[in-house]
Amino acid sequence: MGDTSLELLQGTLDVLMLKALSWGPQHGYGVAELIRMRSGEALKVEEGALYPALHRLERRGWLESEWGVSENNRRAKFYRLTGAGHAQLRASTEHWLAYADAVTRVLQSA
Amino acid sequence: MAEDNARRARPWPFRRLLRLAVRPPALEQDVDEELRFHLELSVERLVQSGMAPEAAREEALRRFGDVAHYRDTCVELSRRREREMGRALRWGALVQDVRYGVRGLLRTPGFTLVAVLTLALGIGANTAIFGVVRGVLLRELPYPEPERLVRLWQVAPENPKGAFSFPDFEDWRTGAQSLEAAGAWFYAEGRTGGDLVGDGEPQRLSIAYVTDGFFQALGRTPQLGRPLQAQDHVPGQADVLVLSHGLWQRRFGGSKDVVGSTVTLDGKPCTVVGVMPRGFDFPSPSAEAWLPVASLTQNRVPWQQRASRWLAGVGRLKPGVTLATARAELDGMARSLEAEHPDSNTRFSGATVVPLHESMVGEVKTSLLVLLGAVAFILLIACANLANLLLARGTVREQELAVRAALGASPGRLARQLLTESLLLALAGGLLGLGIAVLGSEGLVRLASGRLPRAGEVELDGSVLAFTLGLSALTGVLFGLLPALRAAAPSLQPLLKGASPGQGSGGGRRLRGGLVVAEVALAVMLASGAGLAARSLAHLLSTDMGFDAQGVAVVGFSIGSSHSEELTTYYQRVLEAVRAVPGVESVGAAKTLPGQSDVEMLRVAVPGKPEELVRANVLHISRDYFRTLHIPVKAGRDFTDDDRGGENARRVVVVNEAFVRRYGLEGDPVGQTLALGGPPVTIVGVVGDTRQAGPSEPAEPMLYLHALQNIRVGVNLLVRGRGDPLRVAADVQKAVWSVDSNQTITRITSLEQVMSEGVARPRLLAVLMGLFAALGLLLGAVGIYGVLAYTVSQRRREIGVRLALGATPGDVLRMVVGGGLRLVGVGLAVGLAGALMLARLMDSVLYGVRPHDPITFISVVVGLLGVALIASWLPARRATRVPPAVALRAE
Repeated sequence: MGDTSLELLQGTLDVLMLKALSWGPQHGYGVAELIRMRSGEALKVEEGALYPALHRLERRGWLESEWGVSENNRRAKFYRLTGAGHAQLRASTEHWLAYADAVTRVLQSA
Repeated sequence: MAEDNARRARPWPFRRLLRLAVRPPALEQDVDEELRFHLELSVERLVQSGMAPEAAREEALRRFGDVAHYRDTCVELSRRREREMGRALRWGALVQDVRYGVRGLLRTPGFTLVAVLTLALGIGANTAIFGVVRGVLLRELPYPEPERLVRLWQVAPENPKGAFSFPDFEDWRTGAQSLEAAGAWFYAEGRTGGDLVGDGEPQRLSIAYVTDGFFQALGRTPQLGRPLQAQDHVPGQADVLVLSHGLWQRRFGGSKDVVGSTVTLDGKPCTVVGVMPRGFDFPSPSAEAWLPVASLTQNRVPWQQRASRWLAGVGRLKPGVTLATARAELDGMARSLEAEHPDSNTRFSGATVVPLHESMVGEVKTSLLVLLGAVAFILLIACANLANLLLARGTVREQELAVRAALGASPGRLARQLLTESLLLALAGGLLGLGIAVLGSEGLVRLASGRLPRAGEVELDGSVLAFTLGLSALTGVLFGLLPALRAAAPSLQPLLKGASPGQGSGGGRRLRGGLVVAEVALAVMLASGAGLAARSLAHLLSTDMGFDAQGVAVVGFSIGSSHSEELTTYYQRVLEAVRAVPGVESVGAAKTLPGQSDVEMLRVAVPGKPEELVRANVLHISRDYFRTLHIPVKAGRDFTDDDRGGENARRVVVVNEAFVRRYGLEGDPVGQTLALGGPPVTIVGVVGDTRQAGPSEPAEPMLYLHALQNIRVGVNLLVRGRGDPLRVAADVQKAVWSVDSNQTITRITSLEQVMSEGVARPRLLAVLMGLFAALGLLLGAVGIYGVLAYTVSQRRREIGVRLALGATPGDVLRMVVGGGLRLVGVGLAVGLAGALMLARLMDSVLYGVRPHDPITFISVVVGLLGVALIASWLPARRATRVPPAVALRAE
């Protein structure tokens, strides 16, 4: 990671995590890895910051957590999207795309 | 599953509830484990990609950021979430319990209705009585530091609570070191007063005449102006008065200008100096104004004589002074007065000092506490009844509960649900009971018809509401706990295997039997109390008073000051006018009525025994008094119009037989003379004894004086005529007004009404106790019936078998009734023992009946057995009608 990576905009971490979990239940490390890989390693986020975010989303009822066994046979906490989480992901995605679209249009119109 | 159930077949149901309160396993561990997993996996992956382990650990930590910070944030978030979930869970459970409860209760509307009504009666009665007890007994008197206030009496011969003379009281008041202040008053309901004229109608004011120190002792300051002060009590000063709040509002429209204004009272100008605040009602709620004793004229009350005793006293102890100290000091003062003034104070040698509150509520206290106990018993009976109903219901629902337990409801949860049902019932009952209490306490105060001290303080305020709420909750727990505990520990196995409910619950049968025993015992105690109160009232009502009150009209008035020059002439003219009223058969007049406590008294020395004084009530009457009241003239004659007053007139007196006995007159009393101070008086007649002080008091010696020789301004006309006494009284009033249209009338009633008010308190006790006992008996009977009916329905199969095997219906009847009566018998024994112990507490409110009156207790036993017999016979009869075949197939 160098200077080319983008600082993560506040508030967008939530939607990225929801998106990452929409592919299936995952533990915290997995979520971090997914976000890093799917963004082409462009998004820079402190991995520790994911955990308060996960707990917060769980408290809001968008995620559920359960202890399970990881791929390397270790006890790990897995997060899964709830129904409310799916709905939230859809809403956030629309909102984010519309926002990005608007910003892009303004910036490219010059 | 089966093993699990077996293991918790009979667990203590609260353990589960307790466990909820214990802190859950630390959240920190979970967070730590989650984060450790992340870091370790991260290191692992970096090592796999070729990094040295040491460098990999550093890189992983760098990528992760501030571990401690993130950990704390996560712990905090988890903790908050845990708390929210716990709250939601508990709230959800409660909502669910309430919903289940309401639904369950609505499914059995009959049960619910009976339960709520039972509770409403129990809680309502308790609230009403508590409201009265609180107002009368518990609430403080409305004066500053009321605990320092004491009521004062002078000990008189044969009477520890005698009145004061003005000079005696002034000596006490000024000399006593233990009293901060003291004052005395003269007040007689409906008799002490004056005619207020001025703007508007002339009005008879109820006046309390007070000495200096009266307002200072009570410690309440006027709302307007000033209280009476030392200078107002100097004889010969301009007359002043203090108004009550009520009179100020009614008569003066609440105007502030009234202070300093002059009103005309009994024809004399009188200056208003103050207005007392609302609620100041000493010595009586009907007192409308306070005047100095000094404003009384000597011919009305000889107030400067030491031997003339007519004042009641109140004092305020100095801070820190005990009752005993005050008693000792005042006793000493009485003795030194006795030594100083032997002619007036011989044998007036002590003081009686009682806390003011106690002196006001004295006798009523016992009655109220007895009633409070009675309503508590009713509530207990109601609780036992409901516990029984719920137990029976619980047995029926055992299967439902067993299934719910099997599906995972914890025993604690089941108990909680049943308890919620009970509390719902209790709260509904409490709400309805509050309505009953509002009506009840109003009726109670009315039933007491003015004989309840501090009745004005009775109101259903916040604390009474709190009492009701607390009582409802307590009730709900009380009758709900037993069934809930049992339900929490159902033995599931047999039920799940399809056994019929109610079998093998011998403990349940014993429990229900125990509740019936308790109910019967409580009902016996209630009924005994009611029986004693009723016998006491019956005794009072059937007592031969010595006169006949039936059909006698009463018109009371006070001769106004405009007639003070010709009192006897006016008195005669009024009597003549009343005698001329059509339909009037006979007319008598007396200063006081039988039953009134404020009678004049004389102590007459027995000839030859100067130490012995006969205490005699003195009554100033007109001729025909005896004829009107049907008091027999045993010897001699009644007064006549020829027995006039005047310089040389022969003073005459009529005495009663009690006087003759006590005084020890030998031979024919008629014609003998008595020395009453002044010229000797001749006895012209002897009449039968009357219970002048009421049915609970013995007949006292009486001296009847002829009003024409000893006129008094207080007059009660007693008129026997044709028809309704009240209609006669109205005609009599018109006749009085035909003589003087300005004559104010203080009272129009019938003598029977006056007598009835005299026994208002015993009647209140008897009526309420009777009501409560009837309620208790009814509830008890319902309880016996319910348990036996339930037992019969449970034993249908067994009864069927017995019948099939040749038992006669009579055998079955005996078996069921016998079972019921066994319980009743135990209850009766326990109840009688309790009743005999409690009856002693009622001793002071019973008249003419001993606390261990055998007739009462025998009637109670017989009555209760009768009720119990009916209550057990009904279900027993049903049992005998069980067709054996049906019964055998019933299960």
